Amino acid sequence: MSNELLWYLSRATGIASIVLLTAVVVLGVVTAGRRDPRAERATVVMALHRWLSLGMLSFLLVHIGTAILETYVAIDVISLLVPFTSDYATVWVGLGTLAFDILLAIIATSMLRHRLPERLWRLVHWGAYAMWPLGLIHGIMLATSDQPLLAATTIASGGVGAAAIAWRVTSSYADRDRRRAVLTEQWS
Amino acid sequence: MNRTDVAPSGLLAALSEAGLTGRGGAAFATARKVEAAHRHGAQLIVNACDGEIGAAKDGWVIEHHLVELVAGARLVAPDARRIRYAAKRDSATAQRLRAAGLPVLEVPDRYVSSEETALISLAHNGLARPLTKGEPFVQGGRDSHGRRIEPSVVLNAETVWRVAQIADRGPRWFRAHGTPAEPGPRLVAISGAVPRPGVLETEAGMPLRTLLAAAGGLADGAEVIGVSGLSGVLLPRAAATGMRWDSGDLGRFGGSIGPGILHVWDPARCPVEHVDDLLQYAAGQSAGQCGPCMFGLPAIAADWHALSTAQDSRAADARLERRIDLLPGRGACRFPDGIARFAASARSLLADHLADHAAGRCPHRDRSNHAA
Repeated sequence: MSNELLWYLSRATGIASIVLLTAVVVLGVVTAGRRDPRAERATVVMALHRWLSLGMLSFLLVHIGTAILETYVAIDVISLLVPFTSDYATVWVGLGTLAFDILLAIIATSMLRHRLPERLWRLVHWGAYAMWPLGLIHGIMLATSDQPLLAATTIASGGVGAAAIAWRVTSSYADRDRRRAVLTEQWS
Repeated sequence: MNRTDVAPSGLLAALSEAGLTGRGGAAFATARKVEAAHRHGAQLIVNACDGEIGAAKDGWVIEHHLVELVAGARLVAPDARRIRYAAKRDSATAQRLRAAGLPVLEVPDRYVSSEETALISLAHNGLARPLTKGEPFVQGGRDSHGRRIEPSVVLNAETVWRVAQIADRGPRWFRAHGTPAEPGPRLVAISGAVPRPGVLETEAGMPLRTLLAAAGGLADGAEVIGVSGLSGVLLPRAAATGMRWDSGDLGRFGGSIGPGILHVWDPARCPVEHVDDLLQYAAGQSAGQCGPCMFGLPAIAADWHALSTAQDSRAADARLERRIDLLPGRGACRFPDGIARFAASARSLLADHLADHAAGRCPHRDRSNHAA
């Protein structure tokens, strides 16, 4: 495979990964509060969240593999897992590596979820709120400046994800509100 | 039998033979609890909170039988440092316990805070809210946040007093009182529209009429007798005068002896409005931990309020009936179960009265207006 093709493949799968990852995050954010009591819809959203994340992973693996294989810029195989070891764009590639590490932890704990304490799984899953912005920054900073469409796609993904998170934080939620209200009463 | 002669195994045999059950309402076999407490070296929390609406007997035991109570506690937990006495903060009971130099676990004045696992949580510096139950806490374990819970057992104050009595007088004395199914002397608190409210020493199987007569009889016009407060049922005056104070007769109305409470409802108040107040209170007492409780109780209270104020009564009654069935067995504690039982009983007993309210009138108010 020509070096040039590898390079393009890496860029293409990278941007696809960002779009898919954003979709997974949005689905997760929507599900996290379980606001919708209609179980069928929640099940569909949950399944989509899970399968889309694995689908995204395949694009991401191609993105990482091709980025290491191609020789246009120097990224060693060690940068696959150890952040800030790349000669090329040390910081921005490093953020991508960091995001990938967190993602692996999230996927591993989700695979083992039924064998782990719920709190541990939850704690690691909260890492998604760090992983997703890291991936976005990595994408933005390494987006080719003469390809505005790539940068625009990443920025749009950021906007959509941020909107979902803002909705989760600000929307009123009877369950959480009632729990908090009760906790302000005297209990000890 | 002398108290000092009772070895732990002898005590367990005596409790078992006596058939002592918990006097806090759940009526669990005390011998089994004490056996587990000995086996695990559990700390003992003596529940003297009088947590149920209308309850007064825990305070009565503290006031009149504290020496025996303390002796009974030592039989359950031989190490006095592992005994605490739970009482509502700033209550006369708490003051009496403190004056006697006993360690007091001060409990906030909340309905669910005197529930046994809420006391265990509070004793571990947690909030006085019920814990999720897995393995019994008498063997120790962890709460749902992963905090360590040391082996702990909670016994009602009257129960602990009875333990001392059985150790002192033997199971035969105990069995000479009550019925074969519900043996032993027991306390009942009678309050409300009676001339002499207070705590009576009685036993299961007593005619209810006799108990009410001991409190001076029902006030004129009193129609409703509440049993076991918010976790119990309502009895009509007519039935109440012909029945016995045991779980067989009370069971026909969905009730049981429970924590030993009779409350004669004030004839000057509309009972539908009284239930409305009680359900509103119950809705505000949820610990906010289980959905069916923190949403179900306010929903039931709202349904009753709509019924009593003639707002869309037919739909409100249908919702109430459905929701009463949905509540039981879904909480970490039995609070929602009790409220469901209470609401079902009130809906059934006050059906005619509710129908009048649904039509926008109140027979009670009409009668008082007429009398005036």
